[in-house]
Amino acid sequence: MTFRRPTLSRFGLSGYLPVIITFICAFIMLLPLGTSAANVTVPHLALASAFYWLSSRPLLMPYGACALIGFFLDLWLDVPMGLNIGLLVLTRFFVLNQLKHYKGRSRIVYWAVFTGLSFALYAIAWAVTSIVRGDLWPLVPILTQWAVTAVSFGPLALVFGRIRRSVM
Amino acid sequence: MALSVTLLVLDASGLGIPVRIRAMASDIVAPLLDILERPIRGTQAGLERLAGVSDIYLENEKLRKENEMMREWRDAALKLTRENDELRDLLDAPGRTVPTVATGRVIGVGGGAFERNVVLNVGTGDGVALNLPVVDATGVVGRTIQVGRLSSRVLLVTDINSRIPVRLEDSGALAIIEGQNSRELRLNYVPMGTEIKVGTRVLTSGHGGIFPPDLPIGRIVEVREDAVIVEPESLLDRLDFVKVLAYVPLTPETEPEPLVPLEKAPATQAEATE
Repeated sequence: MTFRRPTLSRFGLSGYLPVIITFICAFIMLLPLGTSAANVTVPHLALASAFYWLSSRPLLMPYGACALIGFFLDLWLDVPMGLNIGLLVLTRFFVLNQLKHYKGRSRIVYWAVFTGLSFALYAIAWAVTSIVRGDLWPLVPILTQWAVTAVSFGPLALVFGRIRRSVM
Repeated sequence: MALSVTLLVLDASGLGIPVRIRAMASDIVAPLLDILERPIRGTQAGLERLAGVSDIYLENEKLRKENEMMREWRDAALKLTRENDELRDLLDAPGRTVPTVATGRVIGVGGGAFERNVVLNVGTGDGVALNLPVVDATGVVGRTIQVGRLSSRVLLVTDINSRIPVRLEDSGALAIIEGQNSRELRLNYVPMGTEIKVGTRVLTSGHGGIFPPDLPIGRIVEVREDAVIVEPESLLDRLDFVKVLAYVPLTPETEPEPLVPLEKAPATQAEATE
């Protein structure tokens, strides 16, 4: 019987990089960047990071890590508990099931897939928040943040790609 | 996924993560946020300074004129304050000055696109408590909704959950101002027949027991058929230092006895108790 080391530790310290980077991205979302009160201009960095790493190294971002990062994000951002957990877990579920259709394609395809996925996730988040809070939530701020997140995925993916190539 | 749904159901039913745990989570990251926001502020200030260099001459002229005007206003305000204090003493009426509990710095933002709140670097250790009004130099910022030992969270006036009783400065009409999760606020429940003018200042009315009266909230910028739009007075797009006020609303026990005009004063003890 052979003993299999967990996937994360098989890569050594660099195996934890996707989780650490996504965690840092979640933390950066708290900082008063841009406008301190209207955080809509700050993209959902954790979502972009999770999608990038799941698309390139799916095994290094397990469900547990997605849920944990989402949990902290929910606590820190003071949004309904479970919202970001759900978004990140759904992202992993989507990527694991659909990666075969876009793996190895051009960056534009990855960008387009992320744009579509993030739109669906924001629509779900809007519906969930409206149900939890018992009121129809304003759409404009949510659409704005989705647009900013979708647009910023390209540059972010470039940065993540550089990090991945230099470390892994 | 099951965990996410369970937590959301608990949140919707009001049994979610207690506020205290959320406040503890903010406390854990507060020291790190405090350190990291400094270089960000420094960079932002530096960039703003660079961008403003070209306008310095024009701005200087404008400030000089404003300064002269402000000096005249200051003299008038001092005179009125003195008069006001003397009259209050005569009537034995309580003063309206609200002391500051703590001056804090915005070290974090929360809510993303869903809510509007900020994290301050002051908490119970500095005397901050729940539901205290928070203001900046120009107007109302919001109220404290979570307080940890080292940090506290402020629900901004622009948050959709924020509803503040207000009055219009010129007519005195009472209304409720509501956040929209955007830059604008919406004025609701304005009494029928009230004349609403663009430019009118909106002040807190003091009802509701959280905000003291007469704090500026915003200015009416648009009157639509279905809504009155107000722009916040406070600098919500570049909040830095804010003040948490120690406001304790006057209760019937602490309120002064209403003055009764002499001609209407009850003649007998029996009449007084009726």
